[in-house]
Order: sequence, then structure tokens, then C-alpha cells
Amino acid sequence: MELSTSEPTTARFDALYRETASDVFAYVLTLLRDRAAAEDVTAAAFERAYRRQRSFDAGRGTQRAWIFGIARNAALDELRRRRRTATLLADPEDASAAGRGDHDDDALRRAAVRVALAHLDPRERELIALKFHAGLSNAEIAKVLGVSESNAGTRVHRAVTRLRKACHAPS
Amino acid sequence: MRPRDALPDPDVQHDLRELEAALGGEPTADPDLAGLVADVEAARPAPDAAFLASLDARVRAGFPTERATPPREPEPWHVRIRRPRILLPAAGLALAAGLAAVVVALPGSTRDLGSSSSTLSAELGGGKDSAGAAGGSSSSSSSASSRPKTTAPSAQPALATGSPSPAGGPSTTPALPTIPPSTTATDRKVQRAAELTLTPQADDVQDVTDGVVRETQAAGGYVQRSEIATEDGGGTASLTLRVPTARLDAVLGRLSQLAHVGALTQASTDITATTVSAADRLADARDERRALLRALGRATSDRQIASLKARLRDNRSQIAARKGALDAVRRRADLATVGVSVQGTDRPSGDKGGGAWTPRDALHDAGRVLEVAGGVALIALAVLAPLAVVAALAWLAARGLRRRRRETALDRTA
Repeated sequence: MELSTSEPTTARFDALYRETASDVFAYVLTLLRDRAAAEDVTAAAFERAYRRQRSFDAGRGTQRAWIFGIARNAALDELRRRRRTATLLADPEDASAAGRGDHDDDALRRAAVRVALAHLDPRERELIALKFHAGLSNAEIAKVLGVSESNAGTRVHRAVTRLRKACHAPS
Repeated sequence: MRPRDALPDPDVQHDLRELEAALGGEPTADPDLAGLVADVEAARPAPDAAFLASLDARVRAGFPTERATPPREPEPWHVRIRRPRILLPAAGLALAAGLAAVVVALPGSTRDLGSSSSTLSAELGGGKDSAGAAGGSSSSSSSASSRPKTTAPSAQPALATGSPSPAGGPSTTPALPTIPPSTTATDRKVQRAAELTLTPQADDVQDVTDGVVRETQAAGGYVQRSEIATEDGGGTASLTLRVPTARLDAVLGRLSQLAHVGALTQASTDITATTVSAADRLADARDERRALLRALGRATSDRQIASLKARLRDNRSQIAARKGALDAVRRRADLATVGVSVQGTDRPSGDKGGGAWTPRDALHDAGRVLEVAGGVALIALAVLAPLAVVAALAWLAARGLRRRRRETALDRTA
């Protein structure tokens, strides 16, 4: 199959990709809870961002907020598509989490965190991913979600509070 | 109730600051929160190395597209019609072009732009078949010439051969309504009349009036009535002409070349029945005279002779009267009545209708072109603006709906 390159990769986009690829994947997987779909959506989000580089407006937010906004839309579109075709009956186990010292306290605590995360509301889980995994500021989260910064802060606070309660709740 | 965009309360702000400190790995951060950050970070899913390598390659290649994709089949019409992005501009352009064509085609929109010659002709229907016993029929036609200079000479070949005007020359041939000879049969009688309004410049009223009289006499006619009122810098004249009906069209053509034609109206009436009736009554009277003369030859008594002579005198008077009536009817058919009104105007000389196409005319025409183009653009805008508003509203609605559906999709994963 013959391939053609539409345009050269810009240095700025390459830097953005290097900086955020893993974070975007983690965020998308948090939303989709399906590794294969998360890979596809992550690739699609970066491709979409690559083709729309000229639409980025620094006055409307940071590059990180921009790429996470694109990834969010792509992930939600994927959720809609999957809802039309099939229902995900169960979350697949994260293979990377298995076999990490099941008997020490840290492992138990982290397992409790994973369970707590799984039981969070999808919107709260998304906020945890954006805050903890992607490291976005509240202003950036506000841009991604399309809400005000104070609203984003309130939501983050609520999600963290719920997560802490869930982690300390008796299993 | 707290406003939607108000700052979080102090406790929340404090907790958020603590969270930021824990996320930043500051030593002063809450140990419990720092532990949570570490645990969540440990639960962070990591992409496969193979996936990252594949994505790296695609990024380096600039997300190449497949060129080997087979050419797309032409889409059926019902698929293409679902693409308003493609069809909307085309429909808008077609609509604007249609409107432009309609506007340009409107009679009033181009009345000063191009030639506006018109030749009206009216056939005398009654002159052919229907006049007969009904006593005749009439028809009329009229025209008001605004720019006679644009009349094509070939449009009125019979009228274009006139003498130049004494006023200097409108070398124009206005569009004259012509009425063809009323009948094909030579024995039919038609009475014709015309009303002509000439509007020369105010200073030329007298010259034009003289020209009217001259042309009338040259055609074998005469001026039945004239009324001329001249004043300083202008004036009016009103004349009633009688010209041979056979030369009416030629006379009108020559008169029309004397000055700008403001209006021209022609009318014709079939008077065959009236003529025949008058002739019949005259024949009856003559038959009666012959009968009276025969009776007079056979009369034997003085009383009979006296009575017949008295009746012959009456009959003679009757014949004379009826002969006069017949002659009058025939004169009506032989001589057409032309009413000419000469009205001086103060129109600028450039608008006389004659002369060469000057830069001033070009400027005027260019202004008109821009005027019409602006009108067309305004109409197109009036049509397209609501469409654009509707399209914008539809786009906003679609955007909002898509966003709502995305958010709903996230909620349904709970």
C-alpha cells in the first residue's frame, strides 16, 4: 500500500505529542475502560489534532487543554458509537495492574484505590483522571469540560472528597 | 443559593490548595493526600510499548493517508442532496441569478439603459368582417416615447425618411404606433384620427409649429384650427390638421421628426355602414324624384300638377341635403384629423434624444448599471441573509445537540 504524507510534522505538535501521549491515553482509557478502544481513540485524537493544528488558538487555552478537549470529544463519540452497537457488559481487568505484590500494604491500598475509582461516577472518574493522571490545572480542566474555572474547582474538590471517602470505606 | 460561577467557599479553596501541594510533591503537603496522589498515580494506566511505537511512527510520518484508495463511485442524487454544505451555496447562487434575471427583465429596471423602441400596430378587426351592419368599428393605439434616439431606423422605414427639424435637428425616429389600412376591400370607408404631442425645447416652439404647418400643406392637407401661445422662454401651440388619410402615416412620421415625441395616439373608425346608408338615402330620394317626374307627365288636372310640383321642390331639397350628408361622410374618410400639441420644455439639451453617445451619456449609463447591480445585490442579500441566519441557528442547534449527546453518553457509562 502506498502512503503519502500530507504535510510535515511540526516541531510544536511533536513536542505536544511527546508530552501528553501517555496522559491522553490514561485519560481516554479512564473514560472508555477498554484498552483497545482507548488506543484507537488516542490515535484518532492525535491525528485529529494534527490535522487541525491551525485551529489552535493560544488565547482560548493551553495546548494541553486543547488536546485533552479533542480526546474527550473523540472518546465520547466512541462511547456513543458503542452504545449504538453493543453494550459493554463488564470492565476488562487492567492487565498492567496484576501481579504487583498482592500482599504488601501498599499493594492493598492501591488496590483499594482502583476499586474506589471504579465505583466513582464517570464524571468524577474523569475529573480524577484529568487532575491526577493528566496533571491539568483547574483552568485547563474548565476548558476541557466547557465550564467555568470555579465550577471545575468545585467539581474536582467533590470528586477528590468522594474518592477519599471511597478509599477509607470498609470493603 | 450560591451563584453558578462564584468562587468556591474558603474550605473548598483550602482543600484545593492542599491538593495542588500534594500533586506538586511539596514537603508541606498533607501526608494523607500525598499518599492518595501516589496511589492514584500508581493506578494510572500506561499505554503498551507497541502501541506507543506505532503511534510514534504515525506522528513522525505526519499521519499519512492511503493513496491506494480506489476512486469513489459517483454518489447518487439522494446522497448528494443530504449535503447542504454543497447544495446551499449552489442553491443560493441559482436563486440570486434568477432574481437578477427577473430584475433585469423588469420593464422599469432597464428603461434608461437600452433601446426601448416599440412599434405598436393594431389591426382593425371591424374593418374586415364585423363592421358591416353594425355601423362600423373603431380601434386605437398609443405610445409615449421616452428615449426616441434609440429607435432602430429599420423599425419604421416608412417614417424615417423625413426632413430635418428646423430646430436643429433631432435626428430621431420615435416609435410610432401604426394602424394599417383598415380594410383589404377598397370600398370600405375608415375614419382615422391621431393626437400627437411634441415636446421641443422651450425656445423651439415657434419653429416646430411652423414645421407642422409646412409638413401639413406639403402633404396636401390644411390647418383647420391653430392656437399658439408664446411667452418669454417658452410657449405652447395647439393645432388641428386635416390631412389626406392615405398620407397620414407619412405625415406623422415627418411631424415626429420635428421634435421629441411626448405622446402619440391614433384611432380609427369604420364608417362604411354610415356611408352606405347615406348613399342609399340619396338614391331613394333620386328614385322618388324620377317617380314624381313620371307622375307629372301623366297628370291631367291643374291640381295634380301643382301638387306634384310642390313635392318635386321638396324632393329637390331632400336630395341636396342627402348629397351633402354623403359628401360629409366621404370627407370624414378621405381626410384624417390630426391634433398636434406643441409643448416647450426645459429639458437639458443632452436629453433631447438625439446626438452622439457622449461621455456624459456613458457616465449616466454607468450610474444606472451600478444602480441596477446594487438593487440586484440588495435583493440577493435580502434572500440570502435569512437563509444564513437559519443556517447559523441550525449549526448552533446541531452543535448543542451533539454536545448534549456526548455528555449523555458519558453519563450512561455509569
